[in-house]
Amino acid sequence: MMSKRIRPVSAQRQKEAYFFILPAFIYILLVMGYPMIYNAVLSLKNMDVKNLKSGTSVFIGLQNYAELFGNETFQLVLKNTFVFTITCLIFQFTIGFAFALFFKQRFPLSGVIRGMILISYMMPISVTGLLGKNIFMNDGLVNDLLRRIGITGPEWLTNTTFSLPAVIAMNCWVGIPFNMLLLISGLSSIENEVYESAMIDGASWGQRFTFITLPLMKSSILAVLMLGFIYTFRAFDLMYIMTKGGPLNSTDVLGTYSYMLSFTQFKFSKGSAATMVLFFCLFVVGMFYLHLLRKEDK
Amino acid sequence: MKKILTLMLVLAVCVSAFAFACAEPVEVELWHYFDSSNDKDMINKWVDDYNALQDKIHITSTYVSRQELMNQYAIGAISGELPDIGMVDSPDMASFISLGVFADITDQLNAWGELDNFYPGPLSSCKDADGHLYGLPQNTNCLALGCNMDLLKAAGYDHMPKDLEEFKEMVAKTSDPANGIYGMAMCCIGTEEGTFQLLPWLRSVVDGKSVNVDDLTAPSAVKGLTVLGDFIHNNYMSKEAVNWTQADAWYAFCAGKAAMVECGTWHLAMTNDINGAFNYDFCLLPTGEEGTSTSTIGGENFGICTGCVDTDACVEFLKWMCSKEKEAEWAVGAGKIPVRGDSKAEYTYETKGFQVFVDEMNYAQARGPHAEWPTISEAVYTACQSVFVDNADPAEALTKAMTVISPIVAENPLP
Repeated sequence: MMSKRIRPVSAQRQKEAYFFILPAFIYILLVMGYPMIYNAVLSLKNMDVKNLKSGTSVFIGLQNYAELFGNETFQLVLKNTFVFTITCLIFQFTIGFAFALFFKQRFPLSGVIRGMILISYMMPISVTGLLGKNIFMNDGLVNDLLRRIGITGPEWLTNTTFSLPAVIAMNCWVGIPFNMLLLISGLSSIENEVYESAMIDGASWGQRFTFITLPLMKSSILAVLMLGFIYTFRAFDLMYIMTKGGPLNSTDVLGTYSYMLSFTQFKFSKGSAATMVLFFCLFVVGMFYLHLLRKEDK
Repeated sequence: MKKILTLMLVLAVCVSAFAFACAEPVEVELWHYFDSSNDKDMINKWVDDYNALQDKIHITSTYVSRQELMNQYAIGAISGELPDIGMVDSPDMASFISLGVFADITDQLNAWGELDNFYPGPLSSCKDADGHLYGLPQNTNCLALGCNMDLLKAAGYDHMPKDLEEFKEMVAKTSDPANGIYGMAMCCIGTEEGTFQLLPWLRSVVDGKSVNVDDLTAPSAVKGLTVLGDFIHNNYMSKEAVNWTQADAWYAFCAGKAAMVECGTWHLAMTNDINGAFNYDFCLLPTGEEGTSTSTIGGENFGICTGCVDTDACVEFLKWMCSKEKEAEWAVGAGKIPVRGDSKAEYTYETKGFQVFVDEMNYAQARGPHAEWPTISEAVYTACQSVFVDNADPAEALTKAMTVISPIVAENPLP
């Protein structure tokens, strides 16, 4: 009897819940769903500068993808994207975590220094790009500092080996404060009593970090890594301003390359295919994150 | 009676409202990317002047950065959201015509009867493969060589280079890398801007022959690229050139960091940047044999976009803007060269310099026009950058570029 009385109420509430999420669902469908489907369809056609006006583009299946993956430049771009993302993630996360642990301590001027570190994160990325261009030029700040300690610095932005590390360094400069900020809020949620009890039990700093901080920070760490991966993987503006993806595509990533295909060379379908590859990579990472969250919930 | 009076009143209001609506000029959007203060002020003033001259259209000019404007055209080609009148860089026009961004205004312009006065090079950039016109060139420019006469004198020269061999010698002698001074500065960036500056050297005249981008494996093109590659490898030209825009190269020259610079007509309006620090002069680009030169035609076109609210009225504006008098006025104010042979620009500054650029126009060639020019352009700057950055062999690099260019020009040859 009891369950019979509850069920209709629950169904009603469920309807209400659906009703409340309907506007957001329609918004997402229109603003994100439609362009994504349009892009996916476009990637299966041969639309370019020659046939857009006449409307004679046709479906060519996965030919754009096959051509992209067989193209040396695209292989380099894909490699650059993963190298850039993973390297940035490692440096941003480890240094950001170290800063978060450091600034969690209370000491004079800690708030001021923390605020100063955040300046690089608050700066528009176009300014960061221009700064990077000047810092890493052959006679720039970095090489000048190296020269003062007797080291001849490399040609950062004009050498295919060093251009990507230079862009990675600038991205880390922006990413470290972002990681620090998120990790500090995670650290603040751990009660001091937990550490105090562990200290009374004789736990060393390393033990407290390994057995208290890391496990209790698991969800924060996952979120930081996940967000970091997404933001870094779809990077565009920093490369576009610092190097325009050059020299010789050495700093080209999926974002800049698909933009170049679509908006410079007007190879719309091929550009869409490159964007779909970017989307697919992020989709896999997103699914993996959801899987981990579900596992943790269980 | 009361009803009749009311009816008449309503009718009178409607008629006057209709008459008022008819008298209102049609609102027209013009997008441009003039970003220097001279150009921007002039286009805004001209638009105001034209609005005051007639009452058919009211033009609102909006500045949109060049790259963003190109993006908007590409998006607009699909969505249909375009301005009524749009500005475009001359080598890009063919692609946008092909994309359907601009409307065919051949009949209106032929009826004008003044097209014969336009220089064929700039005018051809407004045409499609069938010769239909989609706009008018508004200004043109080309590249020449700027020289720091003090640095040349210090190296033992009292004149500017006359040919490629002498130029090579002068670049070597004026270079002083230890003090951060290079013999030559130019832009070799991996964009259309880089291709613009690189092309004169690939099209250089050797043994009386010059080639276009559909024959880059020719010895003259290989020689031109080899010379530039040697400049970089011998430290006569900064390797930073692969990331430099034309503005960067010009500022390096103005700062006394380069003895010679490949510069554009518009730089004549920017010689104040030198600030009297040294004596300077301009000469034809010494890309090949004595008595020859090669250069690239630049400049901006204006077209009427597809879906324009009043094409005929907007064409009238283009005709006014590109009239004999207005062309001369623009050339003087913005430091450009008129696109019409009957326009006589009376420059009040750098008159000698302008004469060099006007002479250089006789040797300047257009880029394309070709719908797939951006792909051709990418092949050109990539080949050059591989020589500058990766020490690739110039002949091999240009052969690789031709594997991209040849199928494109085989399907749709260059004019």
